Amino acid sequence: MLSLIAWRNILRNKRRSFILILSIMVGVIALVLTDAFSIGMMQQMLTNQIGTDAGYIQIHSKGYHDDPTLKNSIENTAPVRAALSHDSTTVSFSERLRVFGLISSASNSSGVSIVGIVPREEERITTVHKYIVKGTYLTDKPDDIIISTATAEKLKVGIGDKVVIMASRIGGSVGAEACRVVGLFETFDSGFDQTHVYIPLETARKMLGAAGRVSEFVVNPIDPKQTDSISRQLRSRLPSDMEVLTYKQMLPLLVMQIQLYDQMIYIFYAIIAIALIFGIINTMLMAVMERTHEFGVDMAIGMSNKRIVTMILTEAFYLGAVGTVVGLAISLAIDIPLSHSGWNLAAFSQSLKSVGIGTKIYPVVGASTVLNAAIIIPIATVIGAIYPAMRAIKLQPVEAIRAS
Amino acid sequence: MNTNASEIVRVDNVRKVYSDNGVPVDALRGINMTVLPGDFSVIAGPSGSGKTTLLNLIGTLDKPTEGAVYIDGEDVASKTRRQLADIRLRKIGFVFQAYNLNPVLSALENVEFTMMLRGIDAAERKRKSLALLEELGIGELANKRPNEMSGGQQQRVAIARAISNDPRLVLADEPTANLDSDTAVKLLELMEKLNHEDRITFVFSSHDPQVIGRAHRLLILKDGQIVDDKVNV
Repeated sequence: MLSLIAWRNILRNKRRSFILILSIMVGVIALVLTDAFSIGMMQQMLTNQIGTDAGYIQIHSKGYHDDPTLKNSIENTAPVRAALSHDSTTVSFSERLRVFGLISSASNSSGVSIVGIVPREEERITTVHKYIVKGTYLTDKPDDIIISTATAEKLKVGIGDKVVIMASRIGGSVGAEACRVVGLFETFDSGFDQTHVYIPLETARKMLGAAGRVSEFVVNPIDPKQTDSISRQLRSRLPSDMEVLTYKQMLPLLVMQIQLYDQMIYIFYAIIAIALIFGIINTMLMAVMERTHEFGVDMAIGMSNKRIVTMILTEAFYLGAVGTVVGLAISLAIDIPLSHSGWNLAAFSQSLKSVGIGTKIYPVVGASTVLNAAIIIPIATVIGAIYPAMRAIKLQPVEAIRAS
Repeated sequence: MNTNASEIVRVDNVRKVYSDNGVPVDALRGINMTVLPGDFSVIAGPSGSGKTTLLNLIGTLDKPTEGAVYIDGEDVASKTRRQLADIRLRKIGFVFQAYNLNPVLSALENVEFTMMLRGIDAAERKRKSLALLEELGIGELANKRPNEMSGGQQQRVAIARAISNDPRLVLADEPTANLDSDTAVKLLELMEKLNHEDRITFVFSSHDPQVIGRAHRLLILKDGQIVDDKVNV
């Protein structure tokens, strides 16, 4: 019956209850949208990094990760191939020879990471081929090179133009190769674009005097959730002079950023909850003051303090629950379609590209987001009603009955 | 202090002092009285004589500055708020001048409410509330809210609420003050009937001659003192 009274008291002042429920709804929507977009952004940053370059697992010679130079590249790739052949049904892989060097045209030059790849292998692992905006991806021709539109602009070259790449050979001398630009790519990460050029693996080996060598094997499990287990298996099968790293070890800052965000969101939750608590205190206090006379009568007919507190907290809980349910419904109605179509933020493309996010953000509504809102908001409304409830039970029955 | 076992209320040399802007005001000065089972007593007196103050003390809504109020032999001054609420719930029914029904509840729910506070199960309290409303002649108004009822009808609901927990005592503070004389007479007849037939004890505060005329015992208050106490008026 107390819950019936609480509910009817909410309906008693519809406008006030509506405004309060509206503010709770706005809080829930802000919370869910912020969380969903932030998680989406973080996951996109991670998957973009994995998708364009890092992959889920990399195999190197021990020491390459700390000192990524040619002398630390894998000389004998047979054990790695043998280890990977065990997992041919669960993984795909590509091999790369990577070196820091210089790319020059008649007009300009730029420091870049020259990556030698096997195009058909690389297509199965990374997404650069999807970002070709002009020309083609690498073919089998040994003098092909693909560069980004940003690098092309800097070098003032276009499709079909010649560029020269140079890098230190394995013995210390300088190796150079003249290549013809066959394709221009433009990814969502301007930093990556400006620092990467791709040539065929054999061309790289020839230029660097590194026949048969590979800097890294990039391995992608068919099911990314198996990254850790597959990396453990690979570690056990490979010789001890090889290192197997997952993306968590290769991209520690990004992973840490995501973990940090998981904690930081609770600060945002706290801010929303505190704002809500003050709103509830204000509204419920007003409601309690208006009903002083009624509380006096309730006390006179024998209603205990405990029941008065329960009634007020129940009212607050109902307000919170209604606001949360409606707010969640609206949030999901916004988020779910956007999680498929993405939210186009082309207006901020420059800044988004600088941090490795595409111009579209795909919000991710996780169960934890919904659960957090569903728990935190009603609890906050109940907390907000504690002070007004305490005020109500401090009333003296005689004085409260006299109140008009 | 020894109290007679049959006494529902004993007011023993009670003094109540209010502070009016820092100035102490004696609302009651040395009141002594008892309420016995089956009483139909009226505390009468002019405005400001202390009627409502005395009724509030008997109803455990307030505590005396000096002296003691005993309900069923228990000194209310020693009770906590929770214990006092429990005494009011189980032993005392209130009928107020302005009816004071819960505006969000129907007549039936208003009567059920006090029984709910006692923990009586829903089916039993509904059955009893409907029976009470029928007995008081307002059964057809069971589902009406207070704002859909006349003053007299609301006061009947208030009486039903007051007696729903079978209290030892019903305190009625100027119950007819807001009613026209016909309605007031009917209401008083109803309360007399409850007193005669169901042996419900009533203590009124009133200066309405219609109420005073029906009193079995009349206590006249003046300036916070009982100046006359007539039995079998």
